[in-house]
Amino acid sequence: MKSPLNSGRTEWVSMAGLAAVLVCLQPILPSKMMAAEILIMGLPTLAFILLLGYTGQLNFGTGSLFAVGAYTAGILLARYDVHVLLAIVAGVAMTCLISGIVGFFCIRQGGLIFALLTLAFNQIIWFIIFQWRSLTNGADGIWGIKRSVIHFGFFAVNIKPSFNFYLVVLFFFMLAFIFSKKLIESPFGKVLQGMRDSELRATAIGYNLVTYKWVAFVISGMICGLGGALFALHQEYVGEHLASWVTGGEIVIMALLGGTFVLYGALIGSGVFIFASDWLNKFKSLAMGGGWLLIMGAIFIIVVMFFKGGIYGGAEAVYERLRDRFAPGPRQSP
Amino acid sequence: MISGLSGILSQIFNGIQFGVLVALLATGLSLIFGMLGIINFAHGSLYMLGAYLLWSMIQLLPIPGKFWIGLALCFFLMGFVGLVIEKVLLRRMYGQPLVYMILITFGLLLVIQQGVGMIYGTNPLPLGIPPVLKGEVSLGLFKYPLYYLFTMILGLILIFAVWFFVERSSWGAVIRACAEDPETAGTLGIKTVNVYTLTFALGSALAGLGGSLHAPMIGGLQHTIGGSIILICFIVVVVGGMGSIRGALLAGIILGIIRGLAGMFWAPASEIVMFVVMGVILMFRPQGLLGKKLST
Repeated sequence: MKSPLNSGRTEWVSMAGLAAVLVCLQPILPSKMMAAEILIMGLPTLAFILLLGYTGQLNFGTGSLFAVGAYTAGILLARYDVHVLLAIVAGVAMTCLISGIVGFFCIRQGGLIFALLTLAFNQIIWFIIFQWRSLTNGADGIWGIKRSVIHFGFFAVNIKPSFNFYLVVLFFFMLAFIFSKKLIESPFGKVLQGMRDSELRATAIGYNLVTYKWVAFVISGMICGLGGALFALHQEYVGEHLASWVTGGEIVIMALLGGTFVLYGALIGSGVFIFASDWLNKFKSLAMGGGWLLIMGAIFIIVVMFFKGGIYGGAEAVYERLRDRFAPGPRQSP
Repeated sequence: MISGLSGILSQIFNGIQFGVLVALLATGLSLIFGMLGIINFAHGSLYMLGAYLLWSMIQLLPIPGKFWIGLALCFFLMGFVGLVIEKVLLRRMYGQPLVYMILITFGLLLVIQQGVGMIYGTNPLPLGIPPVLKGEVSLGLFKYPLYYLFTMILGLILIFAVWFFVERSSWGAVIRACAEDPETAGTLGIKTVNVYTLTFALGSALAGLGGSLHAPMIGGLQHTIGGSIILICFIVVVVGGMGSIRGALLAGIILGIIRGLAGMFWAPASEIVMFVVMGVILMFRPQGLLGKKLST
């Protein structure tokens, strides 16, 4: 993926370029809040892709970790009026703790049981959130989260206007994205990918798979938590539905839609999913019976069957074909 | 004292009844797992579809005994649905990473669930216990609803029949051969793909039948009923051991009883206690109660 010519500097330039593109693309979307939502939902999708694409693990429990981040930040903001940054950090820290516990149980098992266990833990967390009324308000959820001015001592940012909020979200998204990118290129990430391709070989070389998988799971969980904390600010409300398996399922769809072999898939997937579901929901007949989810499910099946690389993979294939056709010189045989 | 004892006894019976029902679903799940190596996320939707099919039959069929005919038709119709799913979708995925097959069943879950939601609407549909099976029977210390007893016994018979079919009959030998070593089975003249299809159809038929048996006990049918039951099913399969029918039955009954008794003390505990059991089992016996050691 990385050619040796690709120096560190061009990478930073490309990341800055991505941020600039995201700022410029945002006006074409119906609303700035939707643009922010795309980036926010991009975070758990990124976390899912990190696990599926780079360690080969199918995590159905991203929804509950997302909810843990959202509830932690939401409760701190609504009840204790803490600093926004502190609430976000607390959300990430809390998800770190919870995903540490969940991961401890899940990663010991093979691929299939791992998927089932993450789903089971997702339900346990949902259940705790739903039942622990004194802390989480049960089915009512957390109200009273306000996006307002964040003070940093010598300057202040008002995140009430949607564009300012978008920029703040973009900052955190880029942070997580660059971190993930660095992670998969690091020796640690290489071990993960080696493990994905052959556990036997990785064990034989002498890597402790359990620790590696655990750390990967916790990192993925923390990115989910960051997304959740930002989502609490975005909605100014947190509900128990976030922790249900449906949220995790939507994240799975987004990831597969975008493409699970590259991190950009997270952004593409969440963008297409949120834009399309918003558009489909405009049709009354579809919005009523949840028909948009039916269409999403059908598209999902088609993508999984025929376009495993998702939209990114499909675009790449088209690009390569065009390049081969118009490339100067003798045509290369594949 | 007597009333307390009979209360506990009837809770145990409820637990067994629920356990047998879940074990019936888990048996289908186990069959599919043993053959294709995947967990069928759409199993819960097939269960839900079976329940709705029975509801439709009872509405549509004008003849007496429609419950029984409906039950039988559900079994075959759901088997046909499974056949179509395997032939159209899953067959193209053989030889590719299993993750993708699992994801396809997840997509199916959404399509079936939302499809039923659109066709039948999202309001609960009432479906009562058929008149023949109404009433209670006396079991010594306490009275027990006849329909519950009926589903328990029928469920046990069905699970035994499937177990006998797979483990003891010559057809079952073919199925086991294909699960164990499809290549060798193929060289011996067995059309493995057809065996896959039939197994998936049988698993789906069991899911549908489980749904239609359970349907009269649920107050109102909703298109989301598959979600909660399938999760319990997964737990049963994991606790019992992947691919083991006897394990599924054992785990179903144990978990059903624990669930029933826990519910007596604190209603919400009935859900959480099963997860706790699963966690404990996985820590000390990862392959489940009666499962073979997993290679992956």
